[in-house]
Amino acid sequence: MTTLIPTTTDAAGTASRHVTVLVDRCAGCQECVIRCPAGALSMEPVTWTAIADDAACVGCRQCERVCPFSAIVVEGPLAVADRYDPPLHHPVELRGNVEETRRGYDTWDEVVAEATRCLTCPDPTCVRGCPAHNDIPQFVAAVRERDLDRAHAILQRTTVLPDACSRVCNQAAQCEGACTWSLAGGVPVAIGRIERFIADHAPVPPPVVPAPVTDPLSVGIIGAGPAGLGAAFDLVEAGAHVTVYEREAQPGGLLLWGMPDFTLPDEVATRPWTQLVAAGVDLRCSTPIPADALDHLLSVHDAVVVANGAGVPIRLPVPGADLEGVVDATHFLQGSKDALMPGGDVVAWRSALGVDHQRDPHVLVLGAGNTAMDVARMARRLGLAATCVDWLDERFALARPDELAEARAEGVEVLFSRTLTELGGTVRVSRARLAHTTQRERTTPPTVLADQTDDLEVDLVVMAMGYRLDGAYREAVASAPITKRAGIHPHGRWRASGLLANPASAYNHHTEVGSLSLDREVGLWAAAAPRRERLWFAGDALTGPGTVVEAMAQGRRAARAIIDAAPTRPDRSLGAGAHGPRVLVVYASSGGTTRDLAQRLSDQLGGQGAHATVRSVAEVLPVDLAHADALVLATWVEGLVVARVRAASAMRAFVGRLDTLGGRPVALAATYGVNPRGALSELAAQVEAHGGVVVATESFGPRERGTSRVRPSKVEAFANRIAAHVVRRIPVTS
Amino acid sequence: MAAGTTTDTARTTAVAPPHLIDPVEVAIRTRAPEDPARTNRFEDTDPPRGLDLARSPRVARILRDRKFQFLLILPNQIIFWLVIGIGLVGTVDPGLNFATAITWYLWFCLVFVMMVVVGRAWCAMCPFGGFGEWVQRHTFFKRTNKSIGLGLKMPESVAQYGFLLSVGAFLALTWIEEFFNIAGPGNPADTSFMVLGIVSSALLFFLVFERRTFCRYVCPLSALIGSVGSMGSVAGFRTRDREVCQRCTTKDCMRGDADGYGCPWYTWPGSADSNLACGLCSECYKACPSDNIGLYLQKPLTSVVMPSRRRADVAWAVAILFGLVVYQQLNALVPFANFDSWLNAHTFFPHYPNPVSYFGIIGAVAVVMAVAGAGFQRAFASRDALPARAGRTFVDRTSPFRAYFLPLMYGIIPVVGADYFARQLPKFFQHLPRVPVSIGHLFGYGTAQSSLYNASLISSNAGIIAVQVGVMALGTLAAMWTSWRVAGRDLAPLSRHPRAVQVSAAGFALALGIVTAILYVLMNAAD
Repeated sequence: MTTLIPTTTDAAGTASRHVTVLVDRCAGCQECVIRCPAGALSMEPVTWTAIADDAACVGCRQCERVCPFSAIVVEGPLAVADRYDPPLHHPVELRGNVEETRRGYDTWDEVVAEATRCLTCPDPTCVRGCPAHNDIPQFVAAVRERDLDRAHAILQRTTVLPDACSRVCNQAAQCEGACTWSLAGGVPVAIGRIERFIADHAPVPPPVVPAPVTDPLSVGIIGAGPAGLGAAFDLVEAGAHVTVYEREAQPGGLLLWGMPDFTLPDEVATRPWTQLVAAGVDLRCSTPIPADALDHLLSVHDAVVVANGAGVPIRLPVPGADLEGVVDATHFLQGSKDALMPGGDVVAWRSALGVDHQRDPHVLVLGAGNTAMDVARMARRLGLAATCVDWLDERFALARPDELAEARAEGVEVLFSRTLTELGGTVRVSRARLAHTTQRERTTPPTVLADQTDDLEVDLVVMAMGYRLDGAYREAVASAPITKRAGIHPHGRWRASGLLANPASAYNHHTEVGSLSLDREVGLWAAAAPRRERLWFAGDALTGPGTVVEAMAQGRRAARAIIDAAPTRPDRSLGAGAHGPRVLVVYASSGGTTRDLAQRLSDQLGGQGAHATVRSVAEVLPVDLAHADALVLATWVEGLVVARVRAASAMRAFVGRLDTLGGRPVALAATYGVNPRGALSELAAQVEAHGGVVVATESFGPRERGTSRVRPSKVEAFANRIAAHVVRRIPVTS
Repeated sequence: MAAGTTTDTARTTAVAPPHLIDPVEVAIRTRAPEDPARTNRFEDTDPPRGLDLARSPRVARILRDRKFQFLLILPNQIIFWLVIGIGLVGTVDPGLNFATAITWYLWFCLVFVMMVVVGRAWCAMCPFGGFGEWVQRHTFFKRTNKSIGLGLKMPESVAQYGFLLSVGAFLALTWIEEFFNIAGPGNPADTSFMVLGIVSSALLFFLVFERRTFCRYVCPLSALIGSVGSMGSVAGFRTRDREVCQRCTTKDCMRGDADGYGCPWYTWPGSADSNLACGLCSECYKACPSDNIGLYLQKPLTSVVMPSRRRADVAWAVAILFGLVVYQQLNALVPFANFDSWLNAHTFFPHYPNPVSYFGIIGAVAVVMAVAGAGFQRAFASRDALPARAGRTFVDRTSPFRAYFLPLMYGIIPVVGADYFARQLPKFFQHLPRVPVSIGHLFGYGTAQSSLYNASLISSNAGIIAVQVGVMALGTLAAMWTSWRVAGRDLAPLSRHPRAVQVSAAGFALALGIVTAILYVLMNAAD
């Protein structure tokens, strides 16, 4: 670990901290005052600048990170006790041993001592660092008070996998990397271990199923991995009828086939599915759904969630890759898992891999990410020597730091800055040529030094460089997958939290936890928006290979979007709970004319039974877009009548920024002074390019925007046309 | 149609259903901010609600436009690059060269007028900062995230002295101007080099430091414009409803958002109590998500009289800047010329201005101001009144001396401002007609023989003296009024004889006014 700011445990250490408020630049905005976890800051009434109480300061430097004008500086050590991590577990006999290696806290004393290190920050950055946004300070506080039920209740609001996530999450790049101690250069609170203590010492609550209703919402979920699990939990709790289609014979997805028992025991991976099946989920295993069956599925369900992950292993196209003895990670992991299970046959599996006859079989694992670590450690348990190679520099390694350490402790050789250029052998692979690489920055790919090579004798090669998506689904639904990339101007609350200001966490090898978290937010909102009519995507199927917790959180977002949208398949009769569609009216207005028109349209649509929300192009939030069943875009037009008239640039930019409208109906309105010319048809083309279906367009001249004596007025008539497309007939209930 | 049954529920969609509430939001439990209203901190400095220019839709549209500041800067940018070029390649006659003529006959005067009337109007259109900012932001006017440069923060050891570095830069620049006779005006190439020097040092600072660190700490004119500009009638961008600013969770005006950059001047509209550090760039107005910022006018001298926070750096800036202008008056006198030559001969310095006399006189005047402050404290301070303890750094530390010195210096700002203005007037009145001649000269028209070249707005010494004394009289009257008010607000509560301290403060301003006016008479007589 690189240099960390020294921590101090003694009370005398308080004297050594000093806070300087640069009064010349302190603007008295109180961003630091409202966020100081120690309450060490207050306002000086005459100068109206912040004033600090050095004795109360704990040195967490949150004030430094949140000050918009960098007008505050904290010096001195962090006032936090040393973190206690249980020592690494070294199995006495590695071979055949699938006992879980990573240990949690065993005693209340240990976990309470760790929970006491948490500052309960008023604006907790760890919550933003957690993809599921668990309310970390509150569940840690519950642990401090030894109240596991309350801790579970807090966790349950945002996660259904506390037992799995606390084991497999890379906390250093998520919650713990975003912990204020970590951002200050210290050692973060062991959030993952505390969560695991909660999950291990009190049963994770099952879903609470409401009283059944006649003809409930029917949702099909493709894939029983973490994303499908998250979606199924929320849908079941909302009273929906959930059918899960799983390709494999067992539910669990990646948690089961991708993670060995020594990382994640099977009983943890299958626990939620046992609960779900008990809650009434119709789980259909060994039922693969090909991409061309989507339409059929949509005809029998009100909504479908595609959560089938990214399960196609990536293969490195090097000469010799098709030799015997070159396998992919999934094949290796699944076979090894079965072999090591009680009743499994290790000898037969080794023989199937073709490594039974050598004296000291050597496995080359391509990649040094978490999957590669699992493969290599599994190989060690089969009695094989294992070498991992990764072309990245070790500083930018993708594996969890602790997992890397565990693998090395188990005798795995991990070589960074090497890449495989060639595999040699006659029928079976016997030799690998590795070239050296160099990499300067995390963001730039390494350079291969073709003249510096090593040769390695190998008996088996396992490609564990990760997974990619099923191409057929890609073709069937063009709007997925998406790229998780946050815009260049993150939302103010994220900047205000201070998470983005300071990526310098030595604990986490200076990974930019802030921007990673922000990018993950994009995936969450994308999961809430349908990719096609009544079709949602979540997890790796939506974003490409990601993490378990993200997939689970996205699944829940998709489920909530479905609950809220209450879509219906064509032949379904509507229940009493049906409500009007939600129409989002977005306007680009320069002088207020278009804004007024948008408001009038919204009023009219409201009168027709729709839930209309009016937003200016600048105000539209991802939540507005995700939860709109239909859009009305109202814009003024700009340009010269003699040259070219177009929709306002703000509106065009807004449409350009849209991810996908997923086949939702869109109506377009323009206000003009002289002649709108082709402005609306141009905008319509743009909307359709973004997956919208334009159902109505209308232009409003100077005299046509208001009320008129002729009924219906042009505005009313237009609203009626929109309503005809989007408002469902609502049956009068008896 | 079932319209009637659903209309009511349609209206309630603004409130998100519980499961849609952002879990991050739920986890945020920030402390309640302290309410400035409890001390009426901003009661006197908040401009009247009605004087918000941005309430006019037309003004609002201009301010909202990202090209607003660019278009202010562009003409000045063009002029100053012309100045650099023409100064180097044009005629060596400073009266005929566009570079010298426009800079020293017109621009310097205009800057002072804008300062006194508006405040930091020049800063909004300044081509030096503007150029640096264009490069730093990597754009002319668009809001991008492509900023280049190191983005460092000004080291605290310097930043804690606020505007004093800027005062130092102004002293240094003025000395260089005098040494090379740039502003005389002398050789036009020297003016070019000076402008180039300012542009390149500005650029350097913009590339090394974040935001407008150059303008706030280093720019030679910043302290002068800041202190004298507080006489101005533009309050700058201020909050419309402080409550909304206090509750604001994003502070986009300070951090920037998609519509505007964060305040380049380190000012928050929610707490600004004077126009001291508002560069009128309108970024906060653009960035505010709540449309809660207005562009306010205020009564002249409000920012001198009303702020309850008196800054030590501003007070010392006033004292030192007053020393500088007094030096510039003295240097026109024959006895001073003799003294300076005598000093040069004994300090082996080539020629005027001798740094010992330059810094000595400025220092002496500043010391006299400090002694006056100490004298006021000695004479009037009541024994039991202790200044409220506040601040620990140079700008805000309190002491019995500062309790008198700071308000006294704020009070004399108008007389210092008038003195600077009056000092520029002779060049303006005598040579302004040369500006069109110098422009004509570029195109082959206009010579040193033309009648316009030799014309003056006011040619006689007596006329100029009359105008200068008139300006000083106005400035002195204003300073007497501000000193009276400032003394009444700040000094009277601390003093044994509240009325006497007010009278004395006004008298002090009057005395300074008289001394400087007399110097103008003597200077021009010496001419």
